[in-house]
Amino acid sequence: MSNNRTKGEDIIAAANSARWELGTNYHDSLIESIYGEASRISRNTVKQKGDKQAYSFDLKIDKIVTSRWLGFPIMFILLALVFWITVSGANYPSGLLASLLIDTLHPMLKDLATTIHMPWWLSGVLIDGAYLSMAWVIAVMLPPMAIFFPIFTLLEDLGYLPRVAFNMDNLFRKAGAHGKQALTMSMGFGCNAAGVVAARVIDSPRERLIAIITNNFSLCNGRWPTQILIATIFIGSLVPAKIAGLVSAGAVVTVALLGIFFSLAVSWGLSKTVLKGEASSFSLELPPYRPPQVLQTLYTSLIDRTMIVLWRAVVFAVPAGIIIWLVANIHVGDLSLAEYFIEWSNPFALVFGLNGVILLAYIIAIPANEIVIPTVLMLTVLSTGMSDIGAGSGVMFETDSIGNTASILHAGGWTLLTGINLMLFSLLHNPCSTTIMTIYKETRSVKWTLVSTFLPILLGLIVTFFTTQVWYLFHG
Amino acid sequence: MILLQSSPGTSLLAGLGILLFIIWLFWPAKGGIAWISRLIQNNKRALMEDALKFIFDCEYKQVYCDVNSVAGNLNINMDKAGRLLLRLASLELIVWNRQAIALTDAGRSYALRIVRIHRIWERYLADQTGIDPAKWHGEADRIEHYVTEQETEKLAAQLGNPVFDPHGDPIPTAEGELPIAKGVSLSSLHEGEFGRITHLEDEPKSIYEQLVVLGLYPGMEVYITDVDDKKISFVANGDECVLTPLFAGYITVEKITAAPVQKQKYPVLSSLKLGEEAEVIGISPLCRGLQRRRLMDLGIVPGSTISAVMRSPSGDPTGYRFLGTTIGIRKQHADLIFIKHPLSKEHGYSA
Repeated sequence: MSNNRTKGEDIIAAANSARWELGTNYHDSLIESIYGEASRISRNTVKQKGDKQAYSFDLKIDKIVTSRWLGFPIMFILLALVFWITVSGANYPSGLLASLLIDTLHPMLKDLATTIHMPWWLSGVLIDGAYLSMAWVIAVMLPPMAIFFPIFTLLEDLGYLPRVAFNMDNLFRKAGAHGKQALTMSMGFGCNAAGVVAARVIDSPRERLIAIITNNFSLCNGRWPTQILIATIFIGSLVPAKIAGLVSAGAVVTVALLGIFFSLAVSWGLSKTVLKGEASSFSLELPPYRPPQVLQTLYTSLIDRTMIVLWRAVVFAVPAGIIIWLVANIHVGDLSLAEYFIEWSNPFALVFGLNGVILLAYIIAIPANEIVIPTVLMLTVLSTGMSDIGAGSGVMFETDSIGNTASILHAGGWTLLTGINLMLFSLLHNPCSTTIMTIYKETRSVKWTLVSTFLPILLGLIVTFFTTQVWYLFHG
Repeated sequence: MILLQSSPGTSLLAGLGILLFIIWLFWPAKGGIAWISRLIQNNKRALMEDALKFIFDCEYKQVYCDVNSVAGNLNINMDKAGRLLLRLASLELIVWNRQAIALTDAGRSYALRIVRIHRIWERYLADQTGIDPAKWHGEADRIEHYVTEQETEKLAAQLGNPVFDPHGDPIPTAEGELPIAKGVSLSSLHEGEFGRITHLEDEPKSIYEQLVVLGLYPGMEVYITDVDDKKISFVANGDECVLTPLFAGYITVEKITAAPVQKQKYPVLSSLKLGEEAEVIGISPLCRGLQRRRLMDLGIVPGSTISAVMRSPSGDPTGYRFLGTTIGIRKQHADLIFIKHPLSKEHGYSA
């Protein structure tokens, strides 16, 4: 046999058998000798000065921010501060954008459509549907993100965020996740799509997937207003007016904490089951502190994060707006498509303590959680036939006061149970289309995108089902 | 949808039932989906390939092989084993010489192909996934029957054409070459001798799992301290181990002379107190795959100086400083990095 082989094949065969002789750990020896040689060269040629001093200053900061007593309080105060600045700072520009885009520009466009004799259905689809949905998304999404992302990026640039991951890692390790998931989770409170992108900082494949799939359990910016509104209407009204604010705020925080609980529980479940076989490693770089590069940070966080997320939301908001208008305006017989769906799905929805309006709103308002409440209001008015309220069928709106919203919802048959279930379902349902698309772009996997989309819905249905049935058991 | 009209009590029960069913369906290893996929894969070809692999293994180790041992190994009854072997014989993959079974050339090359696929996939599972060491063998057993050779060759190229599986078994080349088995059983070593573990037998599974639990792995150096009829005692990585001769028989070692075997336990990185400095001796082979590469890439290699500088307020991980950077490492990994305290001695600190 060996006679037929060429010289080259002989050499390869000899090399192969030599590799068997070498044993199993020659790769390690190779790396060791490379490092050994590199450090010998650097010892002989590189002189270092000043580093020791700079580092000892870093160490002093680290002693404080990772200390047993101060580490966690500093962290919580800083994060609370970031959220407070975001929420309070976004109020004014959001109002300004809304009055400009929705209250001023929208009627102007409608007037223009009338003067040029545009058919009613065309102006409905384009202006009430596509334009309004886009305007809404921009008005409510842009300001909080434009404030939240730069502050977050500044903290990251400063070198503080890796210390948060360092402090929180023990908890996340027990859940089978990476400490940096604390960061992607916090980012998710701003925007889930951004949180999913932020999971790039996790270099271990398994933990990165876990962070991406569970990011949706962080109550994002678009869902906070829904939570606050519903908590005020249905839970705050249970107690005397003096403590109503406190109680409803408590309810919202409870939902957010429930989200963190689900995030950790699902992380644990995933790491023990479907993601068990994925490769995993842990190391956490703790870079030196440095003065943040403010301008560059502003630029990158506004362009890379805010604008990209906003653009994706707008891309989805336009077709969704058209669909929202169409389902409310295309009639088959006496009823619109929306009413058909609402009536058909009502019995099913009631098992989960929700109603057909909520289900339809969550399906057609998929581009952004921000437009769920305007869609719910529009659909409620449509399906109950309150023709004197709102801006016409298919036109999303919000009322001037919480009292008006409450009376619309009560007229739509909402109870305390509906309110609680809506809060739960708002936490546990599919991510918005922007986030779903981002998950696909980040994982390049249809499978994990589907899991991230349907797992929260499944959990949401389970949780609302048992809440409802237990409620009926005691109040039935 | 009866669920819609029934009382809360009944729908609660029905809901619980559905929930339990979903949980059962997705339960790992024992759930409905796992059960169905197992059912689909347990076909005739898989059984034939397993039989060929086993006969080849006997041949390689020069152990006698008959219908009994085949039935035992494949966990099927004698009748079924007999029919299986007749079929293999009719395909001219084996010859039946009275009781003893031997492979034909065609059978041997078929078996070698399967063995190559099996071991390459084991290597892959060990290096590139997070699957438990005790499950590598079973998982590769499952995979080997449905992957194609092309897929496996692609994988081998991607892994850098490995020549050993994670148990220390040589991987046959694509041309079907395999080095002659060497090394001796651990139970044949005498007191005071040194050896290096080259192979842990991965079957039967129960014994292999025990060996893994003891922390034994190929490449480990051992020093025999005591041997008698009932037990064999040795020091491995500074840990005293005692095995029965039965268990020791599943470990293959090569004798080494004048070995630098460590007779006492190495201190590990996690034992370093804050502010202390040490020199890295190496990373335990128990730390594998991605994690091992990551640590080595960061510069945890023999000879580097490392110090513990900060600890998370929750106790884990710890920040270590080496090569001018600070990296947080979890205790579970710091437990696998061996160190010595050269600097404390030089500077006269108490170690």
